[in-house]
Amino acid sequence: MEPVHASVLPDVPGEKTKISTSIVDTASSTIQTFAPTKKIHQHLCVFHFYADDMTRQVEAHHYCCHLNNEMRQCLIYDRSEPDARLIGLEYIVTEELFLTLPDTEKPLWHSHEYEVKSGVLFLPGVPGAVERQELDQLAKTYGKAIHFWQVDKGDELPLGLPQVMMSLTRDGQLYPNLARDMESRYGVTFEKERENRAYMEGLAHGVHPKANAAGIGLKTVLREIECKPSGLPSLEPVPRALT
Amino acid sequence: MSLTNEAGHKTNGTPTSKPLSTGQQILNKGAQMLQSFKPINQMTQHACTFALYNHDMSRQIETHHFITRLNQDFLQSAVYDTDDTNGRLIGIEYIVSDAIFETLPPEEQKLWHSHAYEIKSGLWVHPRMPEMIAMPELKNLAKTYGKFWCTWQTDRGDKVPLGMPSLMMPPQSEGAGVVKPEVVRKRDEEYKVSKEDSMKSRIEIPEPEWINPTADYWRQHNKCFEVDVESTEINVRTEYS
Repeated sequence: MEPVHASVLPDVPGEKTKISTSIVDTASSTIQTFAPTKKIHQHLCVFHFYADDMTRQVEAHHYCCHLNNEMRQCLIYDRSEPDARLIGLEYIVTEELFLTLPDTEKPLWHSHEYEVKSGVLFLPGVPGAVERQELDQLAKTYGKAIHFWQVDKGDELPLGLPQVMMSLTRDGQLYPNLARDMESRYGVTFEKERENRAYMEGLAHGVHPKANAAGIGLKTVLREIECKPSGLPSLEPVPRALT
Repeated sequence: MSLTNEAGHKTNGTPTSKPLSTGQQILNKGAQMLQSFKPINQMTQHACTFALYNHDMSRQIETHHFITRLNQDFLQSAVYDTDDTNGRLIGIEYIVSDAIFETLPPEEQKLWHSHAYEIKSGLWVHPRMPEMIAMPELKNLAKTYGKFWCTWQTDRGDKVPLGMPSLMMPPQSEGAGVVKPEVVRKRDEEYKVSKEDSMKSRIEIPEPEWINPTADYWRQHNKCFEVDVESTEINVRTEYS
């Protein structure tokens, strides 16, 4: 079955926001400060697939900021509209920083070189020449993407365990209907972008063999364990029993 | 007062990284002016509270939630370790009303936690918001349940996010759920709030008539959760359309 775009999925269950609630939201959005999120300066569109199932492909709208020259952090939404669902996050590091990761950690990270050079990863609204400066750098990075909301399954709520996500690494992986849908909504042509980006060098050391789950599938599991006690006595006078 | 290192990070000693080059800053500003950020612009609340790692509840962190409301019953938040421009994105929390929570299957409910204690105790605050203005929202939140995954364990000094996400728990009134007083004091001094004063002003907030015992799983069952990753056969695309 070919994946559908998130916009055809039903709304998140729940009642429409009450006016009294939205008054408080308006007040807080005016009075409070939002420094970490005001720093977000970049919107990237790309596709992720589940690390245990390449046939499940998800449009991923990344909203990113730089923490420093070596690292970015991104919030991932299922669309670029105000009612977008926050479905995951991704961290992006330079090749240099990636190479310092323990070997057990590297498989959780994916390369960006193919996505950039194939034209599939793009920055909506940014003119090509400016976009390509940024993409030239992104082609030399690795990302760690985790999704918490499986919208492609039709989940109306964020159910289940966190999912490790991977990125496209070669031609033939991306479903054509998803590609065409993205192209028509954003007025881009991936093939044309591929030509424009042919000069980009990508990773200095090539794709690391342990990255992209080292070519195998990864599945998250939940383990039930003995709780570690804190050793602290109860310090709180309980106003009333809340159990 | 919190420690700040040369890069302006509030830190427990995490090594600093290269600051952003001027060229990159210019590129960032340029792109920012050309693009739109509609989902990000929907964030309307900042909340500061505490969370405990379910797999080791002696590890307790101050968290900063930047919250978007999707409807009356559902909130989604990006969680950071500080609220300044160097804040590291450490996870995501989803918040649902009790009505929505009751529609979840029990296997799912085990991963969620209640908020009543955290709100009534004054641990959860909205920095810079007068309590009276925040009160309607606090009344809503007291009846909600949350699901919080932490992806970056900055409290143990990780320079990058390592490993699998951790399930996080909120503070509770007894046992392993009690937040260390010095952790609360540090936060209260910084934001000029008082947990005790907030608790008094919130006496009027009705407690939920019932908190689902499947939530806050560790309290009833004395068992905790951690997420692991296993290798498996990957399902691949075998045909070109």
